[in-house]
Amino acid sequence: MLKTYLKRCIFCLALCFAVSSHAHNPPYLIISEIESGRLTFENEQIAAEYAAASKRLRIRRLEAMPWTKKIYVFIKAGFEHIIPDGLDHILFVLGLFFSSLKLRPLLIQVTAFTLAHSITLILAGLGLVKIQGSFVEPFIALSIVWIAVENTLFKKTTRWRSLVVFMFGLLHGLGFANLLSQYGLPKNNFISLLFAFNVGVEFGQLFVLLLAFIVAKTLFKNSWESGKIRVPASILIGCAGLHWLFQSLV
Amino acid sequence: MGLLIFASCQQNPKMNDNINPFFQEWNTQYQVPPFLQIKDEHYMPAFEKGMEENLAEIDSIVNNPEEPTFENTIEELERTGKLLTKVQRVFSNLAGSNTNPKLQELQRELSPMISAHYDKIALNEGLFLRVESIWNNRENFSLTDEQIKLLKDTRKQFIRSGALLDSNQKEEITKINSKISELSTQFGQNLLAETNGFELILDDDELDGLSDGVIAAASESAAQKMNEATSPEEKAKYENKYVFTPHRSSMYPFLTESTRRDLREILYKSYVMRGDNNNENDNKEIAVEIANLRAQKAEIMGYKTHAHFILEDNMLKSPEEVYDLLIKLWEPALKRAKSEVLDMQAVSDSEGNNFKIAAWDWWHYSEKVRKAKYDLDEAELKPYLSLDNVIKGVFNTTNKLWGLTFTEIFDIDLYHPDARIWKVTDKDGSHLGIFIGDYFTRSNKRGGAWMSSFKGQSNLDGRERPVVVNVCNFPAPVGDDPSLLSFENVTTLFHEFGHAMHGTLTNVTYPSMAGTSAPRDFVEFPSQVLEHWASEPEVLKSFATHYQTGEPMPDELIEKLLKASKFNQGFINTEYLAASLLDMDWHTITSDVVLEDANSFEASSLAKIGLIDEIAPRYRSTYFAHIFSGGYSSGYYSYIHAAVLDSDGFEAFIEAGDVFDETLSSKLRKHVYEKGSTEEAMDLYVKFRGRKPIIEPLLKVRGLDGKPD
Ligand SMILES: [Zn+2]
Repeated sequence: MLKTYLKRCIFCLALCFAVSSHAHNPPYLIISEIESGRLTFENEQIAAEYAAASKRLRIRRLEAMPWTKKIYVFIKAGFEHIIPDGLDHILFVLGLFFSSLKLRPLLIQVTAFTLAHSITLILAGLGLVKIQGSFVEPFIALSIVWIAVENTLFKKTTRWRSLVVFMFGLLHGLGFANLLSQYGLPKNNFISLLFAFNVGVEFGQLFVLLLAFIVAKTLFKNSWESGKIRVPASILIGCAGLHWLFQSLV
Repeated sequence: MGLLIFASCQQNPKMNDNINPFFQEWNTQYQVPPFLQIKDEHYMPAFEKGMEENLAEIDSIVNNPEEPTFENTIEELERTGKLLTKVQRVFSNLAGSNTNPKLQELQRELSPMISAHYDKIALNEGLFLRVESIWNNRENFSLTDEQIKLLKDTRKQFIRSGALLDSNQKEEITKINSKISELSTQFGQNLLAETNGFELILDDDELDGLSDGVIAAASESAAQKMNEATSPEEKAKYENKYVFTPHRSSMYPFLTESTRRDLREILYKSYVMRGDNNNENDNKEIAVEIANLRAQKAEIMGYKTHAHFILEDNMLKSPEEVYDLLIKLWEPALKRAKSEVLDMQAVSDSEGNNFKIAAWDWWHYSEKVRKAKYDLDEAELKPYLSLDNVIKGVFNTTNKLWGLTFTEIFDIDLYHPDARIWKVTDKDGSHLGIFIGDYFTRSNKRGGAWMSSFKGQSNLDGRERPVVVNVCNFPAPVGDDPSLLSFENVTTLFHEFGHAMHGTLTNVTYPSMAGTSAPRDFVEFPSQVLEHWASEPEVLKSFATHYQTGEPMPDELIEKLLKASKFNQGFINTEYLAASLLDMDWHTITSDVVLEDANSFEASSLAKIGLIDEIAPRYRSTYFAHIFSGGYSSGYYSYIHAAVLDSDGFEAFIEAGDVFDETLSSKLRKHVYEKGSTEEAMDLYVKFRGRKPIIEPLLKVRGLDGKPD
C-alpha cells in the first residue's frame, strides 16, 4: 500500500507550508496531499457538473423526507409544471376548451388527453420508453398548431378528434417525463411519486379549464356563443404554437 | 422549477450583499460557514482586517503593564487571530475544493502576505521576552501538564524562528532563508522545465505492445502539442504521431506495456536524468548549495546539522533514530527486491531473451509476474464498492470502535451540491462535531485527497466542537449507476476519514494543540491505522455488497485482493528507502564539510547501502522536489515511520483476537485521537500500545518477512 501513500503525498499546498513553521499559526489547515500546478477552467463543464450535482442533492434531500411530505412535494411540482411553468400545455388545454361548446365532447377530449399523457409519463418514468427531449418538443408545438387550425377551420369537431387528441396526449406525457427526469425521482417510493406528480399535472389542467370556464361564462357569455372569441383566441394559440415550433426546430 | 425551488435551500438566511459575512457572528447551525453568502470579494478585506486585528491583539498582550503570567500571555495568545483563522480556513479550503481563477489569483497574492504576517509575530521581541520570563518562572505558576507543553511549544517556536540570536546572527539567518527560498524556487522551475523538455515522438510502427487506451492518450497528447505549436514545421513534427513524456502518468504505462526495449530505455533514462543534463536547467549545484546553506543555518541556530534542527519537533527526535529505523527496514526490502529480480529474469529467459533485467525493464516484467502470480481484476471488485456502501462501512467501523453515530443533515447549504454533511454524536448522545464529505472529482477541484477543517476544537472559553471536511476525487456517478470505487479509493476514504476522526474526537483545552496539530511523523498514524479496518475481511464483507444484487463480496475475491497487496513490495520499499536515506545523508552534513558534486555524493550514499542497479531511488537528488523545493527535508522518512506505527498499532487488535476490542479501541481514542499535541507523540503511542513500536508487523503486512506469499 506504500504506493498509495506516496502518490497521495507528492505535493503539498504552498500556503500550508508558508504558514506551518511560524508561531501561533492555526494548525495545518490542510492535511494530506493535494496536487499543485495550474488548473484550467472549462466553464461549460463546470456548469454541467454543477447541474448533475444539484440533481443528486435534490434526490438525497427528497429521499430523506417523510413519505407524506414527498407526496405533497411531487403533487405541487406536477401542478407547477402546468401553472405557471407549462405555458405550452396551458395553451393546448385551452385549445381543447375553445373547440367545443358542449360539456360532453370537451370532457371526452380532456379525458383522452389525460389518459394518454399519464400512460407515456409512467412508461417513460419507468424507463420503458426513452425519447430525447429535442425530438418531442417540436411535436408538442405542432399539436398546439393543429388544434388551433382545427378550431379555426371546422365548425364542428371531427369524429377522429378524440383519437388525435389522444395521440397528442402521448407526446405531452413524454414532455412531462423529460422534465421529471431532469429533476430526478428518488428510488424509494418511485411509483407513488410518479403517480403524485401526475395527479399534480391533472390538478393544474383542471384548474386551467375551470378558470377558462368561469371567465367565459361570466365575461364573454354572448360573444362566446357566437364564436367571436373562439376564432381569434385559436389563432393566437396557433401563432404561439408556430413560434415554438420554429424555435424548437432551429 | 417547482421541485428546484421547493426541495433545495428553504432556510436561506436573509441575504445582505453589503455586509461581509466574515465580519459577522455566524449564527448558523453548528457554526458551519454561511457558504451561500460568502463571495470572492469578501476574502481580501477579511484577510486584511484579520491580520490588522491579530497584530493589535499581540500588541495589547505585549503592552500589558502586569507581570507576564501564563494566563495573560500564553493563554491570551491562544485567543488571538480569530478573524484571520476564520477567513483562512474557509479560503484555503475553497481554493482547493471549489476554486476559480479569482481564488487562484488571490492565493498567489496572499501566500507571501500571510507568511510575512506570521513572521512579524514570531519575531516580536517583546512577546518573546514575556514568554521567556514565564518559562523561567514556570515552577512558580503551578501549571498543568497540558499548560507546560503549550508553554514549551510556544517558546520553541520563537526560538526556532531565531528569537535567541543576536542581531548579526538574525541578519545572517534572514539572508540564508531568502537564499534558500530563491534556490528552492529555481529547483522547482528547473525540474518542471526538464520534465516538460523531453518527449518521445513515435510513429505507427513503434507502438508494439501498447494497449488502445495508451495509444489514444499518446495520440491525444500529440494532437495537443500540434495545437500549441506556432510554426508549420513544428506542427508537422507531431502530425499523426504519438507522444510520451517523462511525466509518470505517461511514462509508467509505456514502460509497462511497450515491448520495444530500446524505446523503454530512452524514456526511462530521460526520466532519471532530469536536472542532470549539464544544461541551463541543471539542479546539481543547486542541491549542493541548498544543503550547504541548511547546514550553516543549523550551526547558527545551535544544532549539529539540519536534520537535528528539523527532527527536534518530530516523534523520532534525532538522525540516529531515523537511520536506525531505515537501516532496519532496508535489508528485508532489498532482499525481497532481489528475489523479484530473479522472478522477472526467469520470465524473460523463458521468453528466449538474452539480456539481464535492467531498470527500464522493471515495469514490463513485473506486470508479467503480477498477472501470473496475483491476477486480480479491479473491474471485478468495483460493483461491490459503491461509495454509499463504503461510507456506511467507515461509519460502522467508528461506531463499533467508539460508539459514534452519524446523522446526515439536509437543511444546511454547503459550497457545492455534491458536498454532504453529517452530525457526529458520541456514545453518550453528546455532540462531537460536524463531518463534511466532498467525494466526487470535478473540474474546479484540485486533484488528490485531503482533510481539513472549517472550525477547530477548543475548551478554552466553553466547549467548542469542530467542523471537519474530507475532500476526495472519486468518480462521479454515471447515469443511474452509483459511484463505484476501486479498492485504492476505499483505502483513501478510510485514510482521510482517519484524519477526520483525529480532528473530530480531539478534546483539548487550547485550540493550537487540537486535533491534527501533531508532528509530521505521527500525524499520519491516526489516518493510516484506520485503513487496516478497510481490508479486514470481517469488516470488508460487512460493507462490500454488490450494488445490484446485494451479495457480499465472495471470500475468494477478498483473498485475491489481500494477496495482491504484496505485489512488487520489494521494489516499492527499496526505492522509497533509498530516497529516504539519501534525504538523511544530504541533511546530516555539518557546515564544515565541503560538498563538491551532487552526483558523486549521491553515488557514494547509494553505494554505502548497496542499492542494486535494477532500481533507482524513488527520487534522485536532481529531481527530489520534496526535499529541495518542498517542505520534506529530513522528513521523507515520515511516511514509512507512520506505516510502522499503523501496522504495529493494528497488530495489537489482531493479538487481542478482536479488531473491535473494547479496551484497545478506548485506549486508542483516549491516547491518540483525543490528545492532539498535548503530549509527546512517543508517550502517547506507548500509552496506547503498552510499549514502543516495532517493525515486524510492517514487514509482515508488506510481505518483507521472508515468508512465501
Ligand atoms: Zn494522510
